[in-house]
Amino acid sequence: MLRTTLAGLRLHKSRYVTTVLAIMLGVMFTTGTMVFADTLEAGYEKTVMGSATSVDAIAVPAADEEAQEEPAPLTEDDLAEVRALPQVAGADGLAEGQVVLLDAEGRASGFVPPAAVSFGEHTRFSAEEGALPTGGDEIALAVSTAEQLGFEVGDTVTALDPGQEKREFTLTGLVEFGADPRYSYSGVVVFDHATLGGMTGAEGYVEIDAVAAEGHTDEQVADAVAGALGADAEVRTGEEFGVDLAEGSGADTAMLRVVLLLFSFIAMFVAGIVIYNTFAILIAQRQRELALLRCVGAKRSQVFRSMLAESLVVGLVASALGVLAGIGIGMAGAAFGGPLLGMDGAALTVTPLAVATGMVLGTVVTVFSALVPATRATRVAPLAALRTSATAAGLEKGTGWVRVVLGLLAFAASAALVTVSQLSGPTQTGPVIVTGAALIAFLGVVVLGPLLVRGIVNTVGLPLRKVGVPSMLAVDNSVRSPRRAATAMIALTVGATLITGYSVVSASTETTLTRMLDEQFPVDYQIMAQLGTEAAPAAEDAPAEDAPAEGAGAEEAPAEGTAAEGPGTDPAAPAADPEVEGLSFPLDPGIPAEVRDALGEQGELERIIADRNVYVELGGDDSLPVTTYINGRIGVDLTADTVEGDLTDLGPGRVVLSEGHADGARVGDTFTVPGLWGTDDLELDVVAITEDGGGLNGATIDPQDFAAAYPEVHEDRTLYVVADPGAEADRVRDAVLSSVADHPTLQVMSVAEMKEQFTGVLDIAFYTVAAMLGLAIIIAVFGISNTMALSVLERTRESALLRALGLTKAQLRRMLSVEAVLLCLIGAGIGIVFGVLFGWAAADSVLPNMVFAVPAGQIAVFIAVSVLAGLVAAVLPARRAAGTSITGALASE
Amino acid sequence: MNSPSVDHLSSPVAPPPVVVARGLTKVYDTGDTRVHALDGVDVEFHRGAFTAIMGPSGSGKSTLMHCMAGLDTATSGTVHLGRTQITGLRDAELTLLRRDRIGFIFQSFNLLPMLTAEQNILLPSQIAKRKVDKARFDRIIDVVGLRERLHHLPTKLSGGQQQRVAVARALLNAPEVVYADEPTGNLDSRSGAEVLEFLRTSAKELHQTIVMVTHDPVAASYADRVVFLRDGRLVDEVAEPTAELVSQRLLKLEEA
Repeated sequence: MLRTTLAGLRLHKSRYVTTVLAIMLGVMFTTGTMVFADTLEAGYEKTVMGSATSVDAIAVPAADEEAQEEPAPLTEDDLAEVRALPQVAGADGLAEGQVVLLDAEGRASGFVPPAAVSFGEHTRFSAEEGALPTGGDEIALAVSTAEQLGFEVGDTVTALDPGQEKREFTLTGLVEFGADPRYSYSGVVVFDHATLGGMTGAEGYVEIDAVAAEGHTDEQVADAVAGALGADAEVRTGEEFGVDLAEGSGADTAMLRVVLLLFSFIAMFVAGIVIYNTFAILIAQRQRELALLRCVGAKRSQVFRSMLAESLVVGLVASALGVLAGIGIGMAGAAFGGPLLGMDGAALTVTPLAVATGMVLGTVVTVFSALVPATRATRVAPLAALRTSATAAGLEKGTGWVRVVLGLLAFAASAALVTVSQLSGPTQTGPVIVTGAALIAFLGVVVLGPLLVRGIVNTVGLPLRKVGVPSMLAVDNSVRSPRRAATAMIALTVGATLITGYSVVSASTETTLTRMLDEQFPVDYQIMAQLGTEAAPAAEDAPAEDAPAEGAGAEEAPAEGTAAEGPGTDPAAPAADPEVEGLSFPLDPGIPAEVRDALGEQGELERIIADRNVYVELGGDDSLPVTTYINGRIGVDLTADTVEGDLTDLGPGRVVLSEGHADGARVGDTFTVPGLWGTDDLELDVVAITEDGGGLNGATIDPQDFAAAYPEVHEDRTLYVVADPGAEADRVRDAVLSSVADHPTLQVMSVAEMKEQFTGVLDIAFYTVAAMLGLAIIIAVFGISNTMALSVLERTRESALLRALGLTKAQLRRMLSVEAVLLCLIGAGIGIVFGVLFGWAAADSVLPNMVFAVPAGQIAVFIAVSVLAGLVAAVLPARRAAGTSITGALASE
Repeated sequence: MNSPSVDHLSSPVAPPPVVVARGLTKVYDTGDTRVHALDGVDVEFHRGAFTAIMGPSGSGKSTLMHCMAGLDTATSGTVHLGRTQITGLRDAELTLLRRDRIGFIFQSFNLLPMLTAEQNILLPSQIAKRKVDKARFDRIIDVVGLRERLHHLPTKLSGGQQQRVAVARALLNAPEVVYADEPTGNLDSRSGAEVLEFLRTSAKELHQTIVMVTHDPVAASYADRVVFLRDGRLVDEVAEPTAELVSQRLLKLEEA
């Protein structure tokens, strides 16, 4: 029996080519993902571990669980003690502060200033290129920082000293800081120890690295260091430290792996559909062959086993090819993608698990897909199958009512779920519910597929029939076996739904954000201070002292962020010394008044709006952000969606509240805004309530009231610049930049650039996702091509008859192309409808005030792609059909 | 275009021949052996004549028909359809020729399963974007008795009805010649007789030239003339044949 199976496989091997390709692609993606992720992970581990194991013990300040503050750094004394230990051959400390680094244009880089560090001879870092800085005018940068700012070794780099004076340094080297999360966001600058102290005022060490003396293990060293430093420090061996670091960075790789595997699951799912359809058709076509086997004495179970054996062989061969291709893809991915993810030169890691997963997955999916058709094939009575000509039996019976009912039920359930997701308002669970609804709707399509295909073809086909005989025949052919067509089409529908859905979500997000920006900040430029730095020299605060290691950079919450601010100083104390400790909360760094003045003198600018705010603690965990907009017309320049009231009514003695902070107050009520530092509370009339999550958060009051209640706040938090309507963009830009020239740390953002930035991010995300899903589309196209090829085989005699009756080769080819395009269009069409529907539902279930946007351009591209896919899918089958000799085909039974 | 050698045996009316084959040879190269499927066949078919081509299996009768119909290419020799020499035409020209000037009836798989009887009948006209002669259509439909069955799919028709649809399709366009390849091979004798009767009627009444390949002496007896083929050569001819006569000649051929 096995011999028969193998002989059959050899005979029909051309029919399996596309099936093998489909399985192969799915397996390739899965194995490739695993190899890629494994290689990356190994690479990360190697870099991180490698740097950590170059020292034997690492001591960091012990963090107090209770206090949220950064632990006190280790001191010179601590270092001296460690050095004095007999087990230690040498030790050095790592000091860390922050320094404002200017880019080539003289503006401070980043929202957060980079970390500035110094380290000695014994350290886990080394220069990747060039040398470490050794003098007061030398500097080194993290490789990523240098890359980002476009500096190369030998360049002159400018940084600001604590007095905000520019100082120039020569870039002597680049240091690889790898995946260390402490440094990867902000960037790193390296000075020698003395310069670091001068530039940042950093004191003490955030890390002491020790190397073992001859004859001591790293554990002994770590124990000794721990003993010497006591409770102040947490000490690990280099290896332990490395493992911890690697675990932290491994999380990124794990996430990437999960996402990629999700895509490979989709690809495998689509491949499964394609494989199922192929086997179904192949086995149907071979019914007579199988019946003959039965007639000459093969048992039903033998025929069944033979079919399974065939699928097993196909699955194994395809999976093996897929695994090989996957290893190649993984290797290529690591080679090209690795450097982008901050890691390169990793050795290819092929785990047995990756190989096994690919092999098992491909084989199991194949055998499983063949199960149903094989069972069906063995159920046919041998003689009946011999008598009916399998090739002529093309027309299927109609769709049963059970199918219709089930399909409609699925659609109804899906609609109900979508409704639920919409009623409950924006929540995080919304998209999950919508995804569930989409899956159920898919079931409906699967069940109703044949009916849908027939219905759509009959409608769409009407004009097509009129075009010409090839189109007419194509329309008729495409509904000959609706079940087969439906299965081929659904593979494409899956991909089309996902891509369209994602594009709708992406476009809606973009439109929604753009609208929010346009309506709530109809400005051209926004100026903010760099987070974590103190204000420019005008501020009376002692600058450098508390800047280092404050960790403010970690809280990159946008300016509108609510009560997430850090250290909770005592709110009862304020009145005494407001300037030093006094503010109820530390304010975001401010913008000196002179900047606003300078901007005001520029001719190109129509209006400069400034906002100032404070957070007033209300007791408990509650706090109230109080904001005023100087020069800003509330309801005109600055708007928000209101629950009730009119924003333009705001004026002295009045307040606009956001719903969550209103504490039940309604328009017309009186609301108390507490004063600070001994000023009287404000009793204000509520004129409007805004929706939460939009603009105008907390209490918005008139500048006059704000000045009365918070007289100590005389710096602006943000400046909004509105240009003259007719001003040229370049001149506006020059005007703004020249006004802030003396304050390099101020972050100037063009709103147009901001829009471009997030549009860019969304676009990149979209293209990445589309590329991933593209694989599923390719597999689906293979499926359609395969279905076409097998149908053509079935219709050899028919094609010959048509040719005999005078259909030209070109017309025959056109007939098959139209049929394939029709299939693709239906598949993509259903997918697009689903994608738009569920994309809308998903976006609306998370985004408040979502503006629904259908990316018409992208959808047009999808449709064009599906037409192209149909044409491509038809190329080989059509060539084959047109190339067949008429007389040969007529003679063959 | 006259060929005196065979003229005396053909129909006494002797209108100009519609199809003329001269020295038609077809050689199949199967590696080491060369098979002469046709070996210098000279034959012609006159307008309104119903001719049967007979011969034992492998005598080349189907190949002869295929070459004369432009379905297959001859190795040497010529075939003329009317004034057109069809040997040497390119595939595209042959396609148009078949579409516009030739009708076909095959043994089986004559109809496209997804088209109704009517659509099948009209298919060649639609491919050619030809206007259908409504009167002729009605007349043919009535002759073959398909009026009630026009909107049925082939699977709903009996074998005889299916062949009648094929006959109607072949006749609708009034082609210069209709080739029928074992048109009754798959039919029971009654249905077969019906189909053959239609063919004979259309030859007589519509002056339709019909060339039929068959191995059934009864089928051949419906024709005006029977030509016999053996080993790729035209070996005998019978005018006004009867089934007995044809059987005898055939037996003689097999014995020789």
